[in-house]
Amino acid sequence: MKSTVARVASAVGALALTLTAAGCGGSDDGSSSADGKSSVTFWGWAPGYAQAVKAFNASHPDIKVTYQAVQPGAKGGYQKMLNAVKAGNAPCLAQLGYETLPSFAAQGALQDVSAEVSADDQADFQEAAWKSVSLGEQVFGAPVDTGPMALFYNKKVFDKLGLKPPATWAEYRTAAEKIHAADPKHYVSSPYLNYDYAGLAWQADAGWFATKGDAWQVTMDSPGNKKIADYWQGLADDHLISNAPMYDQGWYTGLGNGDIATVVGAVWQAGVIKGGTKAGAGQWAVAPMPQWDANAPKAGNAGGSATAVLKGCDDTKAAWEFAHWLSTDPTTYGTLIEKAALYPAAKKLLDLPQLNKADPYFGGQNIYPVFAEAAAQVGTDWTWGPLMTKTAADLDDGLGKAWAGKSSIADALSDAQKKTLAEMGKQGLKTTP
Amino acid sequence: MSHSSAPGAVAAAPPGARASGRPVRHRPLSRAAKPLLFCAPFLVLFAGMYLAPIIYAAVSSLSTIRRSGLGLTAPTKVFDPLGNYTRALHDDAFIGSLGRVALFGVVQVPVMLGLALGLALLLDAKSARGKGFFRLAGFLPYAVPGVSAALIWSFMYSPLSSPVNRLLAHAGVTMPFFGSDVVLWSVANIVTWSWAGYNTIIIYAALQSIPAEVLEAARVDGAGAFRTAWSIKVPAVRGALVLTTVFSVIGSAQLFNEPAVLQPVSAGSISSAFTPIMSAQSAVAAGNYPYAAAQSVILALLVGVVSITFFKITGRRESA
Repeated sequence: MKSTVARVASAVGALALTLTAAGCGGSDDGSSSADGKSSVTFWGWAPGYAQAVKAFNASHPDIKVTYQAVQPGAKGGYQKMLNAVKAGNAPCLAQLGYETLPSFAAQGALQDVSAEVSADDQADFQEAAWKSVSLGEQVFGAPVDTGPMALFYNKKVFDKLGLKPPATWAEYRTAAEKIHAADPKHYVSSPYLNYDYAGLAWQADAGWFATKGDAWQVTMDSPGNKKIADYWQGLADDHLISNAPMYDQGWYTGLGNGDIATVVGAVWQAGVIKGGTKAGAGQWAVAPMPQWDANAPKAGNAGGSATAVLKGCDDTKAAWEFAHWLSTDPTTYGTLIEKAALYPAAKKLLDLPQLNKADPYFGGQNIYPVFAEAAAQVGTDWTWGPLMTKTAADLDDGLGKAWAGKSSIADALSDAQKKTLAEMGKQGLKTTP
Repeated sequence: MSHSSAPGAVAAAPPGARASGRPVRHRPLSRAAKPLLFCAPFLVLFAGMYLAPIIYAAVSSLSTIRRSGLGLTAPTKVFDPLGNYTRALHDDAFIGSLGRVALFGVVQVPVMLGLALGLALLLDAKSARGKGFFRLAGFLPYAVPGVSAALIWSFMYSPLSSPVNRLLAHAGVTMPFFGSDVVLWSVANIVTWSWAGYNTIIIYAALQSIPAEVLEAARVDGAGAFRTAWSIKVPAVRGALVLTTVFSVIGSAQLFNEPAVLQPVSAGSISSAFTPIMSAQSAVAAGNYPYAAAQSVILALLVGVVSITFFKITGRRESA
């Protein structure tokens, strides 16, 4: 019986051990193994990353990168990363959207790697992208891609009405009226939410956040933002905007049958439209974003991500080396463009052959020069807030109502600002008007 | 709790001796230790997988997080047992979400269980045909994962695709499924669709336990089908009704899947703090885990109080 007790006890012990081990999915946080080889773990979700890591390992015998695919950030990946940082077993590197990066920083989940970064490294990247991964003197990772914006428009609908792609927002409004007047089922566009809406504000330099010394400024209800809000509110009030939610099946249908005539969106929308609307093949084309001031053209940005270094990484040198390589190696990046429709943050990659070819879906147009031009016009002063996930959710609560005519976009912005300031205050973050 | 046998307390009989045909143990485990030993695997799992997270949440809800300046370093926790609770009780969004699921429960639970009871009685009726088919058909929606069900219904509700509204359009009316006042009941409809059949089966199973002679006696006494249902069958499934009510109340409190899936297409009618669980989620989105934990604890306590009260009210000993 004694042996039975021992058996049960050891079984229970083993079970407990197994559970503990399972609870801490083994991940190493960058260490050097006995043979002097650095090893770095990388969590991400972009298609093509696994292949990129293979290529890196083949060409860098002194560093071993282990890639683990996780859920896309907003679908649980970010939560997993934050939990791993809390538990002290986070990977060295993680894919992280620019908009979420400050939130990670504000949870103490990122590691400053500025010591590893040379001036040449920094010069490799577009300024706006570089600003997205750095706060003051600190650098938290390498920019991978950006989301310069342009106007996707249904050329078939425009041609039928004798319309040209609008060069200014005033012309865009005129086009909206004509499109809807010609067919009451046709609308110029659909409601924009969270980061897609942010891109519209970004173009007009209507920032949402700024840092001033050691305090945050929240400026979502600034006069600049009010101007953008009132413009779109005007379109919504006059029923010129469809009620199809973006990325919903009804939206894809509308893109294919002419009900939704334009999408103001980032370069990756090309992949979204192509993938979701087979019926739109040959109908769509790309033009520069309509301008507020035709003499000083500007573009907004929506999306883009970095390879960020998480807190607890021991081998920041190897981590930075891989992150920099992933963002700048031409062969690897060419594959990423084909697989994930990424648009490089590194300047020298903008003339890759993959970014210079006619696309039959867009009626044989080579759409990339439009985005290359836009990328150079993206304002560099945009800053994301420290509680961005919450801010975006609060904003969407208001925007959803506003587009449906139950509230206004301006109110949505000022409500989101109030709630963000309240939460920042509760957590003790310093704010200044 | 269990006192292990002292080293000296060895059984008197010499090793190997047999008393009444049983081998004598060298070191008998105390009576209390033995069941514990058999339960050990369960207890370990229960403690690790069930108690630990609950205790962790309760403990973490007693601190508030503190950051300073731009907050670019890990936040610290300050022990402030009432901080998060005070905040939650003054948080309009959270209190609103509690009120919303309370209203939801008060309306949806009786409607769904009334429906389930009616269906169960119909299935149990002598004249019912195709019982197997209807049992399965009623149960099938329960087998559809909640998120998938919500997606199917979001297509049914969406102003762009709703086949319901397409039919109604011929009559010149539309149903605003996502109207601010309607959306809660659109969600209730999905939940009812998913769970009515499941509850029907539970109640139907309880009906099967009524002795045939009781029903026979009722028939001999001249009771019709309705009278039998009301006076014999309904009292007999009381226990099942209490159980399904408590489960449904807990389900209402934990409402999450359906509103979360409908949110993006709801034209702002479903906010990010529509239900208490969504409200806690939005605290997580703000990186404020202790505040999310406090909201969860409040919700759990409320559900506990409601369930216990309900059991107390209905808790008279069931008479056969």
